Amino acid sequence: MTERPTPTPAPVPEDRTYAVGELTRVEGEGSLHLVVRGGEIVEARLGIFEAPRYFEALVVDRTPDEVIDIVARICGICPVAYQMSAVHAFEDLFGVAIDPSVRALRRLLYCGEWIESHALHIWLLHAPDFLGYPSAIAMAADHRERVEAALRAKKAGNDLLRLLGGRPIHPVSVRVGGWSRAPRRSELLALRPALADGLAIAQETTRFVASLPMPAFAREPRLVSLRHPDEYPFNHGRIVSSDGIDIPMADWRSIFEEHQVEGSNALHARTLDGKGAYLLGPAARVTLTGGTLHPLAREALDQSGFAELIRTNIYASIVARGVELIHAYAEALDLIDAYVPPSVPLAAWEPRAGVAAWATEAPRGLLFHRYVVDDRGRIREAQIVPPTSQNQAAIEADLVVAAREVLALPHAEATHRLEQMIRSYDPCISCATHFLDLTIDRA
Amino acid sequence: MVMTPPPPAPLPALAGPRFLSRDGIQPLLDLLRADGRRVIGPTVADGAIVMDEIVSADQLPRGWGDDQAPGRYRLVRREDDRLFGYNLGPSSPKAWTFPSLVPISRATRSEGKVTFDPVLPEPPKIAFLGIRACEIAALRIHDRVLQGGPFVDTDYAARRADTLIVAVGCTVSAPTCFCTSMGSGPELTAGHDLAIVETEDGLLVEAATPAGETLLAALAARVATPEERARATHEVAATRARIGDPVALPGLKERLLAQPDHPRWAEVAERCITCGSCTSVCPTCFCTSVTQTTDLAGADVVMNRTWDSCFSPSFAKVAGGSFRSRPRDRYRQWLTHKLATWEDQFGTPGCVGCGRCVTWCPVGIDLREEAAAIAPVRPPEPVIAPVAATPGAFAVGRVSAVRSETADTTTLAIDRLDPAFAAGRPGQFAMVDLPGFPPLPISISRFTADGLVLTIRGAGPATRVLCGLQPGDEVGLRGPLGTAWPLDRVAGRDLVIVTGGIGLAPLRPVLDAVVADRERFGSVRLYYGARTPADLLFRDELEGIWPHAGIEVALTVDRAGSDWSGPVGVVTHLFDRATWDGSATHAFVCGPERMMQATVAALAARGIGAARTWVTLERHMECGIGLCGHCQMGSLFICKDGPVFSIAQLGDTFGREGI
Amino acid sequence: MASSAAPARPRVGVVKMASCDGCQLTILDLEERLLDVTERFEILDFPEASSARSAGPFDVLFIEGSISDPHQAERIVELRARTRYLVTIGACATAGGIQALRNWGDHAAFRDAVYARPEWVASLDRSLPVADLVPVDAELRGCPIDPDQLLELLAALATGRRPQLRDESVCQECKRRGAVCVAVAKGVPCLGQVTQGGCGAICPRYGRGCYGCFGPREGANVDGLLRHLTADLGHDPAEAGRLLAGFTAWAQPFRSAIDATGGAPEGSRRSLPMAPEAARRAAQEGAR
Ligand SMILES: Cc1cc2nc3c(=O)[nH]c(=O)nc-3n(C[C@H](O)[C@H](O)[C@H](O)COP(=O)(O)OP(=O)(O)OC[C@H]3O[C@@H](n4cnc5c(N)ncnc54)[C@H](O)[C@@H]3O)c2cc1C
Ligand code: SF4
Ligand code: SF4
Ligand code: SF4
Ligand code: SF4
Ligand code: FES
Repeated sequence: MTERPTPTPAPVPEDRTYAVGELTRVEGEGSLHLVVRGGEIVEARLGIFEAPRYFEALVVDRTPDEVIDIVARICGICPVAYQMSAVHAFEDLFGVAIDPSVRALRRLLYCGEWIESHALHIWLLHAPDFLGYPSAIAMAADHRERVEAALRAKKAGNDLLRLLGGRPIHPVSVRVGGWSRAPRRSELLALRPALADGLAIAQETTRFVASLPMPAFAREPRLVSLRHPDEYPFNHGRIVSSDGIDIPMADWRSIFEEHQVEGSNALHARTLDGKGAYLLGPAARVTLTGGTLHPLAREALDQSGFAELIRTNIYASIVARGVELIHAYAEALDLIDAYVPPSVPLAAWEPRAGVAAWATEAPRGLLFHRYVVDDRGRIREAQIVPPTSQNQAAIEADLVVAAREVLALPHAEATHRLEQMIRSYDPCISCATHFLDLTIDRA
Repeated sequence: MVMTPPPPAPLPALAGPRFLSRDGIQPLLDLLRADGRRVIGPTVADGAIVMDEIVSADQLPRGWGDDQAPGRYRLVRREDDRLFGYNLGPSSPKAWTFPSLVPISRATRSEGKVTFDPVLPEPPKIAFLGIRACEIAALRIHDRVLQGGPFVDTDYAARRADTLIVAVGCTVSAPTCFCTSMGSGPELTAGHDLAIVETEDGLLVEAATPAGETLLAALAARVATPEERARATHEVAATRARIGDPVALPGLKERLLAQPDHPRWAEVAERCITCGSCTSVCPTCFCTSVTQTTDLAGADVVMNRTWDSCFSPSFAKVAGGSFRSRPRDRYRQWLTHKLATWEDQFGTPGCVGCGRCVTWCPVGIDLREEAAAIAPVRPPEPVIAPVAATPGAFAVGRVSAVRSETADTTTLAIDRLDPAFAAGRPGQFAMVDLPGFPPLPISISRFTADGLVLTIRGAGPATRVLCGLQPGDEVGLRGPLGTAWPLDRVAGRDLVIVTGGIGLAPLRPVLDAVVADRERFGSVRLYYGARTPADLLFRDELEGIWPHAGIEVALTVDRAGSDWSGPVGVVTHLFDRATWDGSATHAFVCGPERMMQATVAALAARGIGAARTWVTLERHMECGIGLCGHCQMGSLFICKDGPVFSIAQLGDTFGREGI
Repeated sequence: MASSAAPARPRVGVVKMASCDGCQLTILDLEERLLDVTERFEILDFPEASSARSAGPFDVLFIEGSISDPHQAERIVELRARTRYLVTIGACATAGGIQALRNWGDHAAFRDAVYARPEWVASLDRSLPVADLVPVDAELRGCPIDPDQLLELLAALATGRRPQLRDESVCQECKRRGAVCVAVAKGVPCLGQVTQGGCGAICPRYGRGCYGCFGPREGANVDGLLRHLTADLGHDPAEAGRLLAGFTAWAQPFRSAIDATGGAPEGSRRSLPMAPEAARRAAQEGAR
């Protein structure tokens, strides 16, 4: 573990603007805007100009199963997360008792998505920054084997998603009550070798990224994630924070709220206590609930020596992601070995009026859904709070810190470093944009 | 076969079917697998009984059945534990003999040179378990289409080369089945190695080929008892009767092809989604496209033979558009190909009546209904304008001759009659009136140059009076009335007539027509029964004229006297042991309703379906012209819609009590 | 790299409009075939995957996403001018996507209800397929697109042949794969009959009805399907119509059928009054 030495602070330029009109290697369309006046940072903004798609309005009057299909389209990288938060919210409201194997399959599906998303981010989006390439494709010219291994490992996750859901992006089999089709044991076992290969690649990768020089950075953010006593959090747990929040997930609104910010098509989230920014995602999870990591993942974390740095240096989140990647492969293998096809793949249910609220851990962090449902099971009102809109304030806070570190660098390099910092969050702008709190006056 | 050398067959090959308990199927499976075969058989998956690889008898759909209707299929539990108590599901052997996507050639292109390497399949050896007669018929059709020459589909030929077939004769049927009409089932006739018929007892297994014999010998099962065999025969015959003859195949081709512009094509096209499900589930549809899989350079190409459908918009596309751009054109292509033009191309219809396209059409279009609407069987012979066709009027005729047929039956010749009567057809009747008595329906038992002949049994007061008429007496007549026996349809085909007692009277004009133009018909057989030898009508014809004219006449009586050396018993016994094939035969039946029911079932078991079986019904009649309402049966007026009907026309009203 | 004698590689761009990124992710999900593709094609501009940027000109440009704000509307016209062969990918780009459901509504009311400060948000009053604004040379359907169809299109582009994208129904793929029809065997409404194939009949193979994400196929008899669902099977017409109100709702003839059966579901249709919560937020924003 090394932190890249920061150059001795040069005289801070008086007035300067760092701008990236369109961030690359992130999901969706965002921009970065940092303005320095008289040596003071007067504006640090992650702009989101992705066109809004009004999902919270579109789900009104829809049935729960339709909602599961629709909200997946918020994000092509983490559709499963949206399906998971929604399906659990509805099952909770309707009191559907699901088969234990159905629950295990849901975790397995989430493993597939974490693999796909983390692998994509580490290898295709983020690693090129550390190695000095514009893209993984360019990187392949010099590191072909590494890129090929990465693609192979990512494919294992996609194949898992494909088997469980019919396709890796916007899978089709998640239904209220369970699965429209549950896999056969033999089908799952067939995926084992590729997942085991993926696990080995992930272990090697984590060692590799932990050996990369990390830009210096220090800010102690407030961390928030789900926590469950017995398992690394995917679909169940309580919302906890590094400063003592510990609430049932349905109570998200008692602590947090969304608000609109100029220059962004996404709503931002903040805590009602006025403390503002908080950080979600791998770094938060590894820090807050690292004890429930799979032993192999825990071992990798301990060996990396990053357990502390992950908390304060956002650039190091790539290691946290590597650790979680190991977790996802390892847990997938365990789940496959223990798999017994559900006796009731799809439980029957009756709609019930009320509020359905649930949170799950998307690859990028806590994803909260809340639906007001009428007695026919139709949605009357929806609120969807994705991780990136919750992280936005933290990103902007970090921009200020990072800016101080890079102001001495040549302009282009400084800009690139800031962009890299933003990529450390793995921001999903497509997600962020579509979450606009909508309340409908039924009168 | 690589099984242990079969023990010398303990029983001669012709000893007939053996008996296996239902659990005895596993050893058969084991034998097939030991022979290096993948066994493809029925199993329950995804809400249907589908064909898949079977390794254990536990996978068979024991105790499962199904409920099928146009556009609808549901699995249902049976009350027994039959293994084959289900009807065909969506999959057919086609998926194995003619898979939906197979590579047929690999081609490469490099530096201007091209190479083509046909991909020769190395198909697994397959044994089909549980396939039905219609599916074997479909395989036969594919054999003809794909390897009947001059060109051969090598992939098909390779897959078909070594298929072993353990078939099941149908003891169940779905409302969508019509193998009976297409001559493809439900009995297993050829093309299988082993035939199974499953009854409540268990499985009756019979070998049809040496390979089948070997298997059967290795199973070492006991010979089935006569009772077990009788039950099996009965169950299959009952299946045939249940299915009836829903499609009037004779002449269908001509009738369909004569209707390229029928408005119904457009109507059905409004319902048809052109989804192509029908062609995909059809076991005989064989249309394909060649699709290519290439590498990015296009240098390494695999050509695949892929199922296509005449319902795809691009199927008939050429530069400038599609030949069949309208859905109605595509539906017409499908229906006429299956039921008509296929016959010209390959000598049989392209449909085996499995009913899959009916069940699996997502909007429930029933090709039988469409065919019947577009190409209805010729409407009943036109009713000629009857004489005295008002409730109060009768034409007067004169009794010219009287002949006593039997103790209670008399034949009256009537002349000086309105010449219009002479235009009547065999099977028609007249209302006969003697003032003071109610008018009676009496069949015309012969047409003469100047009148007609009536044969009357003194069944009650009015008929007894008629029987007592003398030459020169006059009677009132209205007629000729009602529908006639469909002689035009029978032309060129075989005919079986089954009748009893006075029932011969309405059939005598048919026999007269046969005698008059013997060449017009194929073989003609008359099965006739009477209570006693003395009750036989028309002895001259029965014993002289008709046999001489080449009509096969067989007589039976209920009670024989000393002068009778012929058969005794019900009339259907006369053809119990007959060898004729009913698949293209028509039957005319007249007698008491009970007798007709038994006869229709017996005929169905011999392959004469409902559309080719005709009966004449008797009901109380007061007017004979559709005005008094007495003769109604369901929606039919027997007097004007009948009295001659096909069983197909009557549907399940035939023989039902209380209608 | 590689083939020295290879002709100049086609220059390719991948551009995003209003979308979820799933379709362009399908390119990255080509996995072991991805590097092949990047050897055959020169990736000029693909912001999701590379920070090397270019403004073209492009031999082939893949457009993901619908046109739903004024900036996108301008941009697509410029891009078209710099592109030889323009390919739309996915339901958003080919049919307007799920977000086109808002086309049934009053956009201003919609936006006002969603945002406390609507003046900060620029969006068109419709979400439109790309072909409504500029000519399109080829399209890949699906939400998201199918990787095999993508590869087929790439292979066709690389060799200059016509891509084999069959215009058949999902039913045919369903049958070819030996799946049991969910409509017939379970009574589940399924759009497979009227939907363009290409996905390999995923939904029926996974035990549910197709929801039409590949969009209407040529000459789709939607009326026939709706008649069957309502007249023969007794579904409520509005319920049957909303089956179509999904990811390709704006494509014809789905669009007209939705109108004929009572319009899109409420959430996409109503003029929304300012909700109390939005009003509260507006007040808050104003106060800051
Ligand atoms: C289309 C048709 C063709 C027939 N052809 C002949 C034939 O060729 N030779 C022949 O001997 N008989 C024939 N019959 C039967 C004949 O009509 C009856 O036997 C006759 O009507 C009996 O009348 P009845 O007054 O002598 O006897 P009744 O004592 O009145 O009845 C004796 C039996 O005849 C039935 N019957 C009575 N009146 C009628 C009626 N109007 N219509 C039908 N059945 C009736 C009675 O129900 C009873 O079973 C035919 C009947 C029909 C419907
Ligand atoms: S046309 Fe229909 S009934 Fe005839 S063989 Fe084909 S699927 Fe069976
Ligand atoms: S007849 Fe039925 S199954 Fe055939 S194409 Fe038409 S709708 Fe589809
Ligand atoms: S078509 Fe579907 S998968 Fe593709 S970008 Fe649009 S929402 Fe995403
Ligand atoms: S079956 Fe229909 S909804 Fe499902 S993936 Fe295919 S086209 Fe899309
Ligand atoms: S006999 Fe009078 S209606 Fe038929």
